[in-house]
Amino acid sequence: MKLLIVEDEAGLRDSIREYFADAGSVCEVAGDFESALQKINLYRYDCIILDITLPDGNGLEILKALKRHRYPDGVLIVSAKNALDDRLKGLDLGADDYLSKPFHLSELRARVTAIIRRKSFDGNHLVVFNEIELDLLARSVAVNGVDVKFTKKEYDLLLYFIANKGKVVTKNAIAEHLWGDSIDVSSNFDFIYSHIKNTRKKLMEAGCPDYIQMVYGMGYKFSEV
Amino acid sequence: MLFTGIVYYWAITMILKGQENKDLAEEEQEVFSYVNTNHQLPPEPKSNSQHTTFTVVNSPVKRKFVGSVFRNEKEGENEPGRGLITNVTVNGIHYKVFIVESSVETDDLIQIIFGITIGVILILLAILFMVNKLVLSRIWQPFYSILEQLKSFNVSNKAEIIPQRSTIEEFTELNNAVLTMSSRVKSEYNDLKAFTENASHELLTPLAIINSKLDTLVQTDSFSERQSALLNDLYTSVSRLTRLNQAMLLLSRIENQLIPGTEPVELDELINDNIIQLHELYTDKDIRLTVNLVHKTLNANKYLIEVLVSNLLINAIRHNVSKGEIAIMLTDEKLVVENTGIPQDLSGQNIFKRFNKSAGSEGSGLGLTISNQICENYGFRLSYAYKQNKHAFMVNFKLPQAPDFLQN
Repeated sequence: MKLLIVEDEAGLRDSIREYFADAGSVCEVAGDFESALQKINLYRYDCIILDITLPDGNGLEILKALKRHRYPDGVLIVSAKNALDDRLKGLDLGADDYLSKPFHLSELRARVTAIIRRKSFDGNHLVVFNEIELDLLARSVAVNGVDVKFTKKEYDLLLYFIANKGKVVTKNAIAEHLWGDSIDVSSNFDFIYSHIKNTRKKLMEAGCPDYIQMVYGMGYKFSEV
Repeated sequence: MLFTGIVYYWAITMILKGQENKDLAEEEQEVFSYVNTNHQLPPEPKSNSQHTTFTVVNSPVKRKFVGSVFRNEKEGENEPGRGLITNVTVNGIHYKVFIVESSVETDDLIQIIFGITIGVILILLAILFMVNKLVLSRIWQPFYSILEQLKSFNVSNKAEIIPQRSTIEEFTELNNAVLTMSSRVKSEYNDLKAFTENASHELLTPLAIINSKLDTLVQTDSFSERQSALLNDLYTSVSRLTRLNQAMLLLSRIENQLIPGTEPVELDELINDNIIQLHELYTDKDIRLTVNLVHKTLNANKYLIEVLVSNLLINAIRHNVSKGEIAIMLTDEKLVVENTGIPQDLSGQNIFKRFNKSAGSEGSGLGLTISNQICENYGFRLSYAYKQNKHAFMVNFKLPQAPDFLQN
């Protein structure tokens, strides 16, 4: 996939680029409003990660320019302005999604993947990972063509893992993804463990190799064996 | 006024009495002159208002005026009268002469005069009182208006103090002083709030960088057990900081009423969704949940109501004990979330105050403050009660109407 990261904070920009780059995607970066505007006028991207508070302009203007030219690029707004109206404004202007800072890179990646999936829909609503097939419309999972019953959270978890395949995903990130902001950080994450155990068990019973590895103390990694 | 009245009454009475006495003396003179010329008693003349009687006495009586009763033959009733007792000697025989005159007319006169006077005085008094009141209230109106506004002055309220126009210099001055003070207080308060909000905002970017660097770090290599534990602690702390920061931002936005937009919110559905969302959290603690909901629609911002409900539910789970209970009840008037927990009444503590949290809690300490503020924004009331070893939080949707003098 081809991405443009518009973010003025170098530290954050580099982290994002690094997180996406090693997955075989092309990542371009823009650190300010002007260069971002130039880039969108020259190239098309699958998804643009757009910070709306830029030192020399408002990211929303970039979004407007995109929409004015009817460019089909997906747009994910990233903002420190955790303001609802900003979010609504962004979505109203045609952004595909909104993520407020700070976020987990795995969450960002799941969102970006979802946007690209939606954009390149063309009748294909299946996410395939080796023998696992997820139907995004029916929200169902099949392994080797055989349906496997997954609960809603297990399905979300699997999708999250596949979007972040090969990456260590922390328990915090998983918990926040599945239970939202309401999750209590201090509570033990036993129930996450049991969810992962169930998911892994179901996959292996259906004939998958053990894709989910535990990374000691921190989280999990979903990757090719 | 009373004294004047008494003096006035007394003076009139005296004057009229004098007049009566004069009349009586005149009558006496007539009797005397009749006796002098005719050497016999005059006939006892009886008129409507005057009787004269003669009685034989042994020795002359002392001449004096007396109050008496006048028998009015015509009307057949006794009337108050005034009499004069005097002597006349006819042919060596002493007669007591008793002349009595009805004083009804005099009394009536006094009464009428007095009545009219009192009436006029009373009317004057009433007019004076009303004019006074009207003028006073008109004059003091700016003052009371300022006072009223000062009483209801709320630093976090957006409503400004409305300047009162007055021609009275003192009030204008007071008005200006109050206006200056209130705007200064408000601007300082707003600066402070803006600072909180800006500080929270500014913190978000570094937090985002820390978070993303941590995420990048964990991808690098495998870590030892000790390193993993350290990283985990870091994650947890960053996560807490983030949460705290977001709570502060949210609170300041709610306090500033910066989250507009109302829509019908199906509260029962929203609660059910939340319960499903939190399923793993309470089953993990073996908490038994009783839910009793009626259909209820609120007109509010959905996001805020979600925050309110989820705060209450998460509190009920977080501060619960293993194998505890939670009861959620929704009626048309209120939502009650009841839970078991530490056996201690918390009502004495300022649980709705910022950063007031129980010792073991790792929450932001702002959850209840935020909930309370949301309730306030929509005119609900959030209250706490401890009964039968259960903590209950109650959201009353309908506040009892405040008495009139509290509104304004």
